[in-house]
Amino acid sequence: MPGVRCRILSISIAVVAAVAAALAFEAVLSIGEATPFGHTSYGHVVGWVGLGVTVVVFVYPLRKRYSPARQWPRGWFRVHMVAGVLGPLLIFLHSGAHYHALVPVLAMASMVIVVLSGIVGQTVHAVTLRTLNDQRHQLQHQGLSDGDIEIRLHGMASQEEAFRIWQAIHAPMTVMFLVLTLLHVAGALFFAGIS
Amino acid sequence: MRYHPLPRTAMPVVALATLVLVLWIGWGSVRSPAALWAPGDLSRYHVDIAGCTHCHEPFRGPSPARCVGCHSERYFESRSAPAVMTWHREMVAQRTACTACHTEHRGALAQITDQSRVNPHGEFVFRATGTASCTVCHEFGARVATRPMLRDAPVVKRLYEKGRGAHRPGLMTD
Repeated sequence: MPGVRCRILSISIAVVAAVAAALAFEAVLSIGEATPFGHTSYGHVVGWVGLGVTVVVFVYPLRKRYSPARQWPRGWFRVHMVAGVLGPLLIFLHSGAHYHALVPVLAMASMVIVVLSGIVGQTVHAVTLRTLNDQRHQLQHQGLSDGDIEIRLHGMASQEEAFRIWQAIHAPMTVMFLVLTLLHVAGALFFAGIS
Repeated sequence: MRYHPLPRTAMPVVALATLVLVLWIGWGSVRSPAALWAPGDLSRYHVDIAGCTHCHEPFRGPSPARCVGCHSERYFESRSAPAVMTWHREMVAQRTACTACHTEHRGALAQITDQSRVNPHGEFVFRATGTASCTVCHEFGARVATRPMLRDAPVVKRLYEKGRGAHRPGLMTD
């Protein structure tokens, strides 16, 4: 499929750069300090804000399922995408490169799987649909019949179909992410104290 | 174009995997709580401590009352200089949190006194020199973290003889 592999690569580079920037910022905040930033009160606040922003992403799936109008909530989808990137970046700032306990490590891993499946999947999906539509218009201009156009585009469409595996990962893995995040928060409060 | 966005088996499989994971975390929390919950390894001073709640009070954090449980006045009398003991007695009287100066979970070789947590010599210095703490070789003054002075101690002399100075190549032990 033309463009998709290239788009995956560019999105991957952007994601790695964003995560590296968050980790580097945490390193700057922690350098020369006795305590890593995530263990300071400011670090805790960033963690809570990151969680708060991340929770906003759930408005979209809830609206999608339970909205009385049964309309696709496009606006909330944009919020879903922005909060789904911003929240996890704040979580990266909160954690830095300090990984020791298994529970937060697993919570972070599940978050990475959910976010990556969302970013890569949605981007490839959007780009592919646009490419399909462009090619369909081009072929219509060339005077091909609808049947011929379907045959020409079948390969691209079936690859797009195959790529929808990301949706089978994205939504269900959210369950694991939520449970592990709750365990991490509960564990941190239990051992480090609520106040 | 027809497509099935979510296979029907996906959600039950992940729910089951999550349940197994939670059960494993529960079991691991009993068997090896530090691996699942601790933000870092304990220092060599506290490595023998059995459980997290030995020092942490549930939902209240590391508790001074639990520190004093081991680090009693009698313990200070037997192991520290009178000035150090008086200083700590005052701190306890002022209800200063022990964690204001002493931080744990920074690794086995970390120094847990404020401003002196970095061990620049690497992992094996204590085993190689047969010493138990930094103060055997170094004297720490006001500029504790930046400029520790070498003591006139046998181990320091031996290191100098073997290596012709601390910053030259040489053997630490035979």
